[in-house]
Amino acid sequence: MPRWRSIWLVARREILERGRSRGFILSVTFTTLLVVGSFIVPALLFGGEKATRVGVVEPAPNALPAAIESSAHRFDRPIAISTYPDATAADAALADGAVDVVVSMPTDLSGPGRIRFDKQPDQPVAQLISAAVIVLRVQSVLGASNVDQAGLAAAQQAPSVSARKAQTEDDEARFFLANIGAVLILMGIFSFGFTVLTGVVEEKQSQVVEVVLSTVRARDLLMGKVLGIGVLGVVQLFVFVVAALVASLVTDRFALPSATPGALALLVVWFILGYLLYSTALGFLGALASRMEEASNASTPVTAVAIISYFVAIFAVIDDPSGTVATIATFLPPSAPFVVPLRAAFDAIPAWQVGLSILVTLAGIWILFVIGARVYAGAVLQVAGRMKLRDAWRAAGE
Amino acid sequence: MVTTAVLEIRDLSKRYGPVVALDGASFSARSGRIVGFLGPNGAGKTTTMRCIFGLARPDRGEVRWRGVTIDRDARLRFGYMPEQRGLYPRMRVAEQLSYFAQQHGMPGKRANAAAGRWLERMGLADRAKSKLEELSHGNQQRVQLAAALVHDPELLILDEPFSGLDPIGIATMTEVLHERAAAGVGVVFSSHQLDLVENVCEDVVIIARGRVVAAGAIEELKSASGRQHLEVEIVGSNGVWLDDRDDLTLLERSGDRVKLLVDRSVDLDDLLARARASGEVRVFAYQPPRLSELFMEAVAPDGAAAEVA
Repeated sequence: MPRWRSIWLVARREILERGRSRGFILSVTFTTLLVVGSFIVPALLFGGEKATRVGVVEPAPNALPAAIESSAHRFDRPIAISTYPDATAADAALADGAVDVVVSMPTDLSGPGRIRFDKQPDQPVAQLISAAVIVLRVQSVLGASNVDQAGLAAAQQAPSVSARKAQTEDDEARFFLANIGAVLILMGIFSFGFTVLTGVVEEKQSQVVEVVLSTVRARDLLMGKVLGIGVLGVVQLFVFVVAALVASLVTDRFALPSATPGALALLVVWFILGYLLYSTALGFLGALASRMEEASNASTPVTAVAIISYFVAIFAVIDDPSGTVATIATFLPPSAPFVVPLRAAFDAIPAWQVGLSILVTLAGIWILFVIGARVYAGAVLQVAGRMKLRDAWRAAGE
Repeated sequence: MVTTAVLEIRDLSKRYGPVVALDGASFSARSGRIVGFLGPNGAGKTTTMRCIFGLARPDRGEVRWRGVTIDRDARLRFGYMPEQRGLYPRMRVAEQLSYFAQQHGMPGKRANAAAGRWLERMGLADRAKSKLEELSHGNQQRVQLAAALVHDPELLILDEPFSGLDPIGIATMTEVLHERAAAGVGVVFSSHQLDLVENVCEDVVIIARGRVVAAGAIEELKSASGRQHLEVEIVGSNGVWLDDRDDLTLLERSGDRVKLLVDRSVDLDDLLARARASGEVRVFAYQPPRLSELFMEAVAPDGAAAEVA
């Protein structure tokens, strides 16, 4: 029987058994709800960028609504204006929440009038309405004198506003995606890598491993297990991404960056590489244990490396995406899965470094797999107590 | 029926650190024959079985299958029931059997059909969709046996298959082993229940301290044994008619009846004549030793064990 069939059978068993398990279905459902909820709940609570509703008390100067609108436009603030016959009606609307703010002003512009909020004054709104009122009154005073109207209009032009290093919405979204990506990779390593670990220990504990190994090579069993559980990990990632995309399209809350397809591809690639690396390590360390408690002890070094790598990625890369630390971490297999997507988000990694980093990580996975498979073969049939790495290596010797 | 050796164990040696598990063990198994693989605890039975399945690597010696050194493809035609029983506790029974059949190279559909057939055979057809852990201990044992048989193996290696079975389980197991042997399958199983082995097997291999100390057909071993049983009852003799002889050992005396262990060199006709001369002979029964006696004799640590090729 060809080896690939044996590996495929192991992988398929993992997919079917775990994919149907309550734990997996719950975890997929839970993440989906979490993702969709994180988009929909704020949209419901804050309603995104809702227009500020302004109530104007009649009688009011004819030019007031237009002046408020133009002022609001300048401050980039959507606004909806309605009118009320008198102050009492306007106050009632304010109390009902039908409007956010009420403006009253003498028709002859003889006074500045009043801006009333229901409970808490909203300063930006107050300022943009104030600006409109002041413009109206200044214009009427100056209009009565012989001022150069063109000069007046020019003098009222606002300064242009810009940023030295403008961060577009696109950049922001990309950075946000990369951060989520790093968290997803860490979560994937922990949840699915630990599924590999517990799976190995369970096989040892239930002693089925001796029956299995009478037909399947230890290396193929480890590989099938890692691949099968990895498929479930990718399925969960896929569900997560689709839920996020759909939710963001539906709520229209979060502009997807133009680089989304590339960023997603990179995320998926590094999710897979990171998972393969860490779950292989966890799988063979699990084989050294004979009980669950021992397994979590045995896995401590691996989890420590994963967490340190994550923080190196977050701190070093955000501090200086092209710096020495970030560059070194790019070529170390344990940290590359976190560092490369983040650096790419900052546009601070050349394509050749991405390519080389993928190759280095693949080589790392392969080396770990060859070592791991031998340790696994030596350790997996040892049922009494925790085995030393060196003994397992020797036990599997030629 | 002429049967040739299909499985040959040649000079297997294996040490675990300071412990010698196997020290040049050799024997063979033939198709259609049931071999009882006997030995005290720690004699090397499980290590031998693990070497057959490549689960332990011998330091020296080899396992041959149909005349060539064993490889993975050959092992796929074997069925194995390890001493440490174990299957996937949360996997459904039918799927589990089908999985093991497929891992032995059976295509999916045939594997499913074989799983169904064996569950039927074990009386578990209605539990096909149950998880293993939902079954009783006895039924889990049945599934374990089915897992070793589901792919139609040409050789069965069973480590203590009878341990933990109730009388019904023992009957089922015996029946299945006979049926498989009749179908031409070679069967090797280890056991400490020697009476059971005597009923089930034609051949035995006895291993002690990592070496095979006796092997062959049970009947041949018995008749080849240096010591046979003789029971004699002479009316009114009160047991005192025997001379003190080197080739006779008195085992037991009760009233007129004596039980003796006699060397094979003893002339029985002469002995009978002498008995008759002492009185009326009511019983003169010559019996081969029981398997348990052969076993004790073979594994005796004094090195006086009979080596039977």
